[in-house]
Amino acid sequence: MLFSLTHSTRYVYETPVSYCLSEARLTPRSLPNQQVRETWISVDPAPAFLRHREDYFGNDVAVFGVFQQHDRFAATAKSIVDVLPEPVDGTPWESSLSWEETRELLAAAQDEECMKASEFIYDSPFVPTSPELAEYARKTFEPKRPLVDAVKELSQRIHEEFKYQAASTSIDMPLGEVLRQRQGVCQDFSHIMIGALRSLGLSARYVSGYIRSGAQFTGAQASHAWVSVFIPRGGWVSLDPTNDMIPSESHISVAWGRDYGDVAPVKGITLGGGRQSVEVEVYMQPLDSGTDP
Amino acid sequence: MAGHWDEVLLPSGIPRRHWRQLFVDISRMGAGQLDRRWASGQQIIQTQGVTYNAGDPGESEDYSWLMDPIPFVVDSAEWSFIERALAQRATLMNAMLVDLYGPQRLLRERLLPPELLFASPNFLRPCMGIAPPGGIHLHTYAADLARSPDGQWWVIADRTQVPSGMGYTLQNRLVSARTFPGVFSHYNVRHLARFFDAKREALLALAAGRRSNPAIVVLTPGPHNETYFEHSFLAGQWGFTLVEGADLTVVDNRVFLKTLGGLKPVDLILRRMDDTFCDPLELRGDSLLGVPGLVQAVRSGNVLMDNSLGSGLVETAVHMAFLPSLCRELLGEELRMPSVATWWCGQDGPRRHVVEHIDDFVVKPAFPRHGHHAEFPESMDAEEKERLLARINARPDECVAQERIALSTVPVRSDDGFVPRHAVLRVYAAWDGASYIVMPGGLTRISTEDSSFVVSMKSGGRSKDTWVIGGTDEPPGTRRQASLRIDSTPMKSDLPSRLADNLFWMGRYTERVESLVRLVRALLPALSGEADFGRAASLETAIQLLTGMKFLTEEISSASFAEQRWIVQRVLVDLVYDSTQTSGLRWNLREMRRSARNLKERLSIDTWRVLQQLESQLSGFAPANPDMRYLAEMDLLDGVIVTLSAFSGLLMENTTRGAGWRFLEIGRRMERALQTVDLLRSGLTTASLDTEASLQVLLQIADSSITYRQRNPMALQVEPALDLLLIDETNPRSVGFQMAALLHQINRLQENDEPEAVERQLTLKLVNSIRESRTADLSKRGGNGRLVALEELIQETTATLWELSDSLTARYFSHLTASRLSASW
Repeated sequence: MLFSLTHSTRYVYETPVSYCLSEARLTPRSLPNQQVRETWISVDPAPAFLRHREDYFGNDVAVFGVFQQHDRFAATAKSIVDVLPEPVDGTPWESSLSWEETRELLAAAQDEECMKASEFIYDSPFVPTSPELAEYARKTFEPKRPLVDAVKELSQRIHEEFKYQAASTSIDMPLGEVLRQRQGVCQDFSHIMIGALRSLGLSARYVSGYIRSGAQFTGAQASHAWVSVFIPRGGWVSLDPTNDMIPSESHISVAWGRDYGDVAPVKGITLGGGRQSVEVEVYMQPLDSGTDP
Repeated sequence: MAGHWDEVLLPSGIPRRHWRQLFVDISRMGAGQLDRRWASGQQIIQTQGVTYNAGDPGESEDYSWLMDPIPFVVDSAEWSFIERALAQRATLMNAMLVDLYGPQRLLRERLLPPELLFASPNFLRPCMGIAPPGGIHLHTYAADLARSPDGQWWVIADRTQVPSGMGYTLQNRLVSARTFPGVFSHYNVRHLARFFDAKREALLALAAGRRSNPAIVVLTPGPHNETYFEHSFLAGQWGFTLVEGADLTVVDNRVFLKTLGGLKPVDLILRRMDDTFCDPLELRGDSLLGVPGLVQAVRSGNVLMDNSLGSGLVETAVHMAFLPSLCRELLGEELRMPSVATWWCGQDGPRRHVVEHIDDFVVKPAFPRHGHHAEFPESMDAEEKERLLARINARPDECVAQERIALSTVPVRSDDGFVPRHAVLRVYAAWDGASYIVMPGGLTRISTEDSSFVVSMKSGGRSKDTWVIGGTDEPPGTRRQASLRIDSTPMKSDLPSRLADNLFWMGRYTERVESLVRLVRALLPALSGEADFGRAASLETAIQLLTGMKFLTEEISSASFAEQRWIVQRVLVDLVYDSTQTSGLRWNLREMRRSARNLKERLSIDTWRVLQQLESQLSGFAPANPDMRYLAEMDLLDGVIVTLSAFSGLLMENTTRGAGWRFLEIGRRMERALQTVDLLRSGLTTASLDTEASLQVLLQIADSSITYRQRNPMALQVEPALDLLLIDETNPRSVGFQMAALLHQINRLQENDEPEAVERQLTLKLVNSIRESRTADLSKRGGNGRLVALEELIQETTATLWELSDSLTARYFSHLTASRLSASW
């Protein structure tokens, strides 16, 4: 299905800014089930330069600078993306490896794939592992249980036990606090799931992207986030704990990394500015097939 | 001490051969002469302002560098072993960085557990794949060495991101060479200067690969950093510009220095800032100290780094466990000097060994983490030890255990003669373009207590010079005693904007301090009680001036004489001693010094000495006895005035008339004009009961009494006084003089700019409004008894001066603070 995507981020400053250097991760990744037909980013006021590079995790980064004096600034990314109907991850879901076997394979990191995936078993800045997270996970990760069963249940539990509350958290809220309060937004749901998995020595990464709007989906007003879990000899499978579903046609992946910090949609440093306010708007709409976008 | 290697004495009690000469010389010298020479040697530390900020980072106080007179002596045979071992280790560390930020063969072939990379906060993912020119990540490397009881040397720590201490090493050498000049020259001590020259030449050659006449900067986190002295010292020694992050900007993936003359390209950054702080955009750092976009500039090959960003990866303790095999694999050699035995608990065998023999180890975090330090299980009680073991078992991968080395001992001069203390030797290697060269010397640090194994400058430890004797390989003629270079103020075009800002404010604060001292000194006699005796200021005048200048905010006209006297006394004492008062002397002096600290490498040693004298003069406590206080304050303030004059004189006589000087001068003139008009307003414009008394004090504060009496021997009158204090451009204390000087400086500063520049217009307006004033009009009292015209003139002048200050700030100084865009999703 063909989707049109618009993601705009607008900053308004209290005092003028004379220099702004920024990084945006807003271009969807090209994947077997996800083809990016067109994509562009516009920045207002006009940037002095705008270049793309690939980051450590293979995400596209638009780097741009605005060096003229300005008191507001907007970055808008638009894309046309074709999402194919087949299941996102294919065969790994059929894996019967227990979670303990998975942990051992990752710890040994014998083959290239496990070695690379082992990067995602360690603490990262926004996701410190903890005994509390491990304890939370262990209710689901019973001995010898197949990994795929356990992760599905973990996603379901987070969906049920955590309350989705828009604007209830800021990114500065420590993960331990989110776990205690049992509420948050999709970033928090994902961080909790990643932290729970890593606390058991499993490999999990953070995926940022978009979800189709609709009554049945939570998290469409802004960029969305979910989780990928590594299954040895299978690959990565994704789960969306916010909606307790396996991402398929309704999700578009933009970037992945260890946690939010690696894939924040817009980062930047300004000179001047004082207090600032930020507004984000995201639209992900299906396009009628055959219509010229 | 038993159980330790004694660096000086053989077990028989006879000094080792390489210490003998020093031993004999010191014995011959005797304690008295040693102490006298040491006192003279230490003056260098005082007068050059050698400091190490060991204290709370919130405090801006500096602590003098603590040094011990007796050098640590190493003989040439032993040194050549150390030299080869260090060069090998630097080569190894560099090879590890090349691999880990490149092909990662070490991980694929399991020569290093992947965790050492993936779990390390020192692994900078944005720097992955950046290959520095010539494959050199490490341009500067340091290692801490210790000697065990059997005489064997061990590496106990590696420093690969910003190895500190080279500058202090050179300072120590200046001091020790001065303390023992005879011994030093007989002893054939290897000189350090050649190493510093070679390091400088290597950097210039490296940068010259980019363009001829390249620009090199030293990037410092700023004066609050514990080793700021060294940053400014090395920058001065090498002739590189010292910059903070805010002085640099990245435009089009290139790094530029913001100067008064515009953006100047930078080719090489010698950074004294930790990895993660260097780029707030791409690297995680909670502060905004660094340069946004720096990583991208490096990635684009547009700027060189000493050391490469991310080089801190291999300085973590956990790597030591793997070095012997890595050395064989990467260099095809055996590691020459062992690291202190290190077990990484992330491996089962080592963990079991550590847990079973926990008392034999120091337990450290595998990777640097905030708030985690080395722990010594042997000295723990049972409960603490249980907790530590539980932590090791819960997160084994986060712990390394290192064998405790019983450090060797060296003699240290104390009040009780010589006492043995433990020593750790920091040695340095630098890439010279072809190989790693090793500094023939180093920074010896000594423990504070005989039982302590903690050797750290942060916990107040002392240091020693290190003498490598014999076997000099320096060709004659290259011997050069390192000399301090007194930087002349560079041309306008190269002055970083931030320094111009600091010069401007140093000028302003210096003048503020001086006017405060003059004011207090003139008003103190009012407290003597003999209100109208001789030339003493009356209490009434004091109250009037202090109220006018807003130092006295309560209404006390109805109070009794004794109460008034008591209140005025309190105000004056607070102005001198209360360091929390922003209008007080101490606060302004601290601000003056704060500005000066940023200019350290641009001020001469003599200027620093005077500044330090000023500070020590004003550092005492208020005497308890009020009568004593009066006298003490008078003496003190007289002294301070003389010191301030010395400070001004040094600046005047020793500063080239470049852009830097102009900003200093503009700051002074502007502040003196502001202070003088404020004084005139407070002393004259109100319907004063005793104009004569006021005039007397004003003339005294403005140091113009003598001139006034010469011109007007008869009486004290407003009109001639105004002429002298406001208009007369030949009186260096008059407002008119300041305006003319301001105009001169602004004209020179903007000689190449458009003539209608706003600063020039404002200054012209100031000069003209004073020149066109008629003292006869100004001294006429209005119906309310006030000098209305004077009041208006002063008000307008003050407003224009502030407008000029703001306008200069906006045009020349980089005042915008950096901030981070808020998180969004």
